[in-house]
Amino acid sequence: MKRKIVAMLLAGGQGSRLKSLTYDIAKPAIPFGGKYRIIDFPLSNCVNSEIHTVGVLTQYQPHVLHNYIGLGTPWDLDRRAGGVTMLTPYAGMEGIKWYDGTANAIYQNIKYLTEQDPQYVIILSGDHIYKMNYQTMLDFHIEQNAGATISVIEVPWKDASRFGIMNTDENMQVKEFVEKPAEPESNLASMGVYIFDWAKLKKYLLIDNDNENSSHDFGKDIIPLMLEQGEKMVAYPYKGYWKDVGTVESLWEANMDLLNSNSGLNLNDPDWRIFSSNPQLPPQVVGENGYLQEALINEGCVINGKVEKSIVFQDVEVKEGASLYECVVMNCVKIGSGAKLSRVIIPPDLIIPENFELKEQGDEIVLLTQDLIEEWKGSVGK
Amino acid sequence: MRMAAVIDATVKKPGLEDLTIYRTTASVPFAGRYRLIDFTLSNIVNSNINSVGVFATYPFVSLLDHIGMGKNWDLDRRKDGLYFLPISQKAGGQITVGSFAALEEHMDFFNKSRQDYIVVTTCSTVCQIDYEDMLDAHITSGVDIMEAVSGETGLSNYILKKSLLKELIRTHREKRIISVEDVVKLKKAPYTFGKYEYTGYYAIIDSMESYFQASMDLLEKDKRNELFLSNRPIYTKVKDEPPTRYMPGSHVTQSLIANGSTIEGTVDNSIISRAVSVNQSSRVDHCVIMQKSFIEKNCELSYVIADKDVHIEEGVVLKGTPEKPVVLRKGERVTKEEVR
Repeated sequence: MKRKIVAMLLAGGQGSRLKSLTYDIAKPAIPFGGKYRIIDFPLSNCVNSEIHTVGVLTQYQPHVLHNYIGLGTPWDLDRRAGGVTMLTPYAGMEGIKWYDGTANAIYQNIKYLTEQDPQYVIILSGDHIYKMNYQTMLDFHIEQNAGATISVIEVPWKDASRFGIMNTDENMQVKEFVEKPAEPESNLASMGVYIFDWAKLKKYLLIDNDNENSSHDFGKDIIPLMLEQGEKMVAYPYKGYWKDVGTVESLWEANMDLLNSNSGLNLNDPDWRIFSSNPQLPPQVVGENGYLQEALINEGCVINGKVEKSIVFQDVEVKEGASLYECVVMNCVKIGSGAKLSRVIIPPDLIIPENFELKEQGDEIVLLTQDLIEEWKGSVGK
Repeated sequence: MRMAAVIDATVKKPGLEDLTIYRTTASVPFAGRYRLIDFTLSNIVNSNINSVGVFATYPFVSLLDHIGMGKNWDLDRRKDGLYFLPISQKAGGQITVGSFAALEEHMDFFNKSRQDYIVVTTCSTVCQIDYEDMLDAHITSGVDIMEAVSGETGLSNYILKKSLLKELIRTHREKRIISVEDVVKLKKAPYTFGKYEYTGYYAIIDSMESYFQASMDLLEKDKRNELFLSNRPIYTKVKDEPPTRYMPGSHVTQSLIANGSTIEGTVDNSIISRAVSVNQSSRVDHCVIMQKSFIEKNCELSYVIADKDVHIEEGVVLKGTPEKPVVLRKGERVTKEEVR
């Protein structure tokens, strides 16, 4: 069946800068914003943009992600036609081939795309927090009659050397793509969101695959190759909230942005819901000694302590006399009475002992681990 | 596999009229994110019953919208599952549970089901009953109809053999009997009756006062913990509301709050449903505020039950009492002038 557009969501990355958070789960499965996982954002963007055929490419620690997405029900992607398909590396006649580079991952799923038979393919990554209408970008792509359209966002000039930068002419036509330039000529950063005409993309994936020197990466190889071949490549200027949550620091910042009404990240827009798997838990309980100030709290929580400027996921208990300041507390954490934490990310299921104390190290946000808890227990002789 | 269940959602409770103008008693919101039927349906599925007939009368749109095909209770099945069984107006509006005139309209449900026992239940009793345990007691006792009770109080939950229920439905006119509840109350000969003692928390919701009291019960930890058990969860229709946001200046204690709300004011001893706004300097004390209600700035509410989509304008002061809470109907808009 002919489809207008199919999304290919790259969700295989490890995200090693997120340390212990990604030991057991892929980065797109990391909890975010009190109830979501990072991948909820691109998936919800797809369905809100009326893209109902989504291939999710997984490789690193895929189990949690597969289990979470399931048949795609929370996103209304459990469909007879299209819907969500989990695409993992597989064994074939030539042996087992791991995905080796973003372009190679798509190359290895040419069969899936051929079956779907789309006119356009949108490539997404599962690493970013943003709300974006891909349909508007597709309109732009069609209107510009481009071979490829790359979504870009203006970043502060001082940060430009950390991103893949698009150098464009006055008509937003891409002249050059530079990965992490030391001296950037532009501050338009690639968001890792690409729209291609499927026929064109297929052609260049095949060429790239034959090139032994290629790293099979969209930014490094496919885009430069298409530019070199004289394809019309345009940059689509996106305006709005967008954040790469690749580090402990940026993950914490993006969570804190939810508490700031001016950050541009609003989860409360009924016309652009972020869908997520909803656990069946009772409403949150705020006890007699609960104190909440600038906080985002999910269902199933029991709050008897002090919670300030913090994000609290489902099923968390904050006991009396405990206090949290600028913390991100992931699901099922229990915080013992009298514990004091400031600027800490607490991963799921940790049990924080009574009177435990931990705060940021200088400017550095702390990612709590069981080891740190054991260390503290040793130091107080418990 | 031994039991099927009948939820009698045709029962009207005259005392709940303010909340049932636009809905059945079964779909009255309760405990912030639930409808009364959620407790009944969850008890049924937590007792491993997979075949459920929901008998309903007008206005049942909100009920149908809420339960749908039963997906949230894992009742969207190929075999058995949830049957929505609307009945004609003539047979509707009963005040006792298990009306034979209503059940008679869907004899197919009983004829086609493969189960031997039927649970007959209602939505106006909120509890955590285990029907498997009750069935065991029923079989052991050898009586015809088992009634769940808590002390002296009947909980309007019954178990009987399907063959007996069919016989009662067939002969109810000549026997001059109205409903399962009626038969039990009359101790109608030649049938035998037994009592199953239920020991957990329960609330019978048949008036605004009892509705309010049951809501306030949920703020007591012990009662709440008897109703919300992690191994017997209460399922409901899931919504994609974000977590609740507490703004600078908010002050909240002793309350139960559902997702998607925005709290800027003060909330004490209250139940707040999904997507409610309590704006700056407003005080909400001993209130039940339902879904999407909006409370503007500088309001003062105590002992108020606000149904869905109520809008309370700036500066409104409303004070009820525990016995007679102020009830605002669905979609009502309250202005300062009106209150004066």
